[in-house]
Amino acid sequence: MAVRPEPLARSATVAARRPLSLRGVLEREGAFSWLMLAPGVLFLLAFVAYPFFYGIWLSLQDRPVARAGTFVGLANFVTLAHDAVFWQVTRNTFVYTAVTTVLKLLGGLAMALVINQAFRGRNLVRAFLLLPFIVPTILSVVAWMWIFDPTFSVINWVLVHTGMITTGFSWLGNATLSMVSIIIVNTWRGIPFYGITILAGLQTISPDLYEAAAIDGATVRQRFLHVTLPIIKPILIIVTMFSVIFTFSDFQIVYALTHGGPANATQVFVTYAFDLGMSGGQLGMGAAAALAMLPALAVMIVALTLYMRRET
Amino acid sequence: MSTRREFLTTLAGGAAALAPRRVGAAPKSMTVVHESSFIKGFDDFFVKTLAPEYEKLTGIKIGYETVSVGSMLTRLTTIVETKAGPEIVGTGLNWPHLFDQGLLDVTDVATEIGKKIGPWHDNIFDAVVVNKKWKAIPWGNIGQLECYRTDWFKEAGINKFPDTWEDLLSAGRLLKKKGHPFGFEIGHGFGDNHGWMYPLLWSYGGREVDKDGKTVLIDSAETAKAVDFCRKFYQETMLEDVLGWTDVSNNKAFFGEQISCTNNAMSILIVAKRDFPEIAKVTDHGLNPQGPKGRFHLYNPQSHAIASHAADPAAAKAFLRWLYDDKQLSRWLVAGDAYYAPYLQGYDNHPMWNADPRYLPFKESLKTSHLHGWPGPAGHALSESNAKYVLVDMFAKACRGDSTKDVIATAAAQLKQIYKAK
Repeated sequence: MAVRPEPLARSATVAARRPLSLRGVLEREGAFSWLMLAPGVLFLLAFVAYPFFYGIWLSLQDRPVARAGTFVGLANFVTLAHDAVFWQVTRNTFVYTAVTTVLKLLGGLAMALVINQAFRGRNLVRAFLLLPFIVPTILSVVAWMWIFDPTFSVINWVLVHTGMITTGFSWLGNATLSMVSIIIVNTWRGIPFYGITILAGLQTISPDLYEAAAIDGATVRQRFLHVTLPIIKPILIIVTMFSVIFTFSDFQIVYALTHGGPANATQVFVTYAFDLGMSGGQLGMGAAAALAMLPALAVMIVALTLYMRRET
Repeated sequence: MSTRREFLTTLAGGAAALAPRRVGAAPKSMTVVHESSFIKGFDDFFVKTLAPEYEKLTGIKIGYETVSVGSMLTRLTTIVETKAGPEIVGTGLNWPHLFDQGLLDVTDVATEIGKKIGPWHDNIFDAVVVNKKWKAIPWGNIGQLECYRTDWFKEAGINKFPDTWEDLLSAGRLLKKKGHPFGFEIGHGFGDNHGWMYPLLWSYGGREVDKDGKTVLIDSAETAKAVDFCRKFYQETMLEDVLGWTDVSNNKAFFGEQISCTNNAMSILIVAKRDFPEIAKVTDHGLNPQGPKGRFHLYNPQSHAIASHAADPAAAKAFLRWLYDDKQLSRWLVAGDAYYAPYLQGYDNHPMWNADPRYLPFKESLKTSHLHGWPGPAGHALSESNAKYVLVDMFAKACRGDSTKDVIATAAAQLKQIYKAK
């Protein structure tokens, strides 16, 4: 039988009995990691996880405001499935998100390529281009309300005075134009987010790569397609993913500009959920309408993540 | 000189003794939350005169919180759901029904006020009495009437505001030809759309739902006539843009001299008097026109309720008793420039009505006013119907060219789902 030398055995016993000190805990990598993660995790639990799961719980109840809820299972979702407005809202949300995402991606990429060039006043231009993203949404929407006003519209004024049309468009009164209007505002506001993020990606590309491509005789277009694009592709995917999530859940622009009108032509998931829950006092139904966008978002996020993982 | 406690005890009276009472000192402060008034003097009078007077009398500080117009329902939802925040809350429309379980019974206070300055106008019971209990005490109605330019109407040869919808349509045709179209909101606002659409529907004999709250009545020949009229009215008298308007749009268009007639509260006239005096001189109000089945207006009762989380309900009731005493209420209504038409018959000849003859239609409209969804019950289903803009979109779709049959069928299907009708 092996016997541990006495002094060692004693010191092990002493160490085991030594009270836990803060320094000792911090020295342990696992504990330190959890300590560093704790604020973030608590924040996410309190402000993301709890509302999310509470929202799911609400969506499974018949829950009028100021009254106790009754568990109804998926009845709210079934009701929504039979609601013609809900399907119009679904269609609107997908059109709004898809069109704005494409426009913002193209516009943001163009913006990033331009402001990545060296020219005088570049920093000033960069700062100005960020303005739409910096100005509070509601303020910029008020300005857009004037821009779309049938009488005071600067767009109509230009079109009429250049002889392109005889009478101004009803930007917010016509079903198609009202959707175009919210798409314009969202795109205007979202392009700087794309632009600045893509610019960050462009600045990581080593000039050596462009030099090598140029020496090999690559044209500007070929350099863009075979050097720039492959390198910034992960950034494009991430920024698109974020943008889709933000656009899918965009509330302020639609609510302030059209409130979903005319005749629900611009009603989207979030504004409809708000109307049902807050104005209609049907908190369960409102939660169900808000959660209805979850499957589509989840599928898209998973697909993009898998694609990105495969690429890298 | 009485102490604060003696004053409260006297004021609360015997009825208040029945209310739940917290043992201990009276609160040091209470808060009233309201939607911000278009009439600045109304809010100012509360803050600068009424609240200090009450504090001087009782030692209780009264806070006055205002939320932007159109946001009160959201604020009320958060107060009642979280059981926190102001003790005395402003309500509108059918909200006492929506929040009944989060509001205290104030029947005793309402009854006393009714005896002193009333009786109450009959129609108001539908809005604030829930299961035979008063859940809110109304101080005034924000009436929605026709607001028009007298100079342009006269130019078109119309010296008196048209009495029927058909006459208004004829007037609108003339005025649109002269470059002065009408502008009635048909979009997703919170008040100026329903303000004329319910009266239009009712005046043609149409109804959304019956008294029982289970029989959907919208699919009728009367509704079809109202829809057909609305389509003509829109296409022949209005700007295309009205389909996308919210509540600020018609005010802006009126002051921008884009439109000659709209349906709105008295705020246009009052703001015009303050900021656009030349427009104010040629602005007047008319009752909603009558249709084949009569003349109607819409109720928008502004009331005070006590949230059930109030720490000292007796103190809150004591404050409301004091506020609704003629000495206070009368001065407050005057400060409001008759924007709020009181539901108390004792104020039918109040001096505030004499300030301007243009205010009088708002008093007269009370007799023919009903709550949204009338004659259906004023409960949760009504709120859902309004939140989904069932009536507004029925008319809006017809205006943009959808068939009468289709728009009514869609509205009927929505109402059947909302009212759980068979």
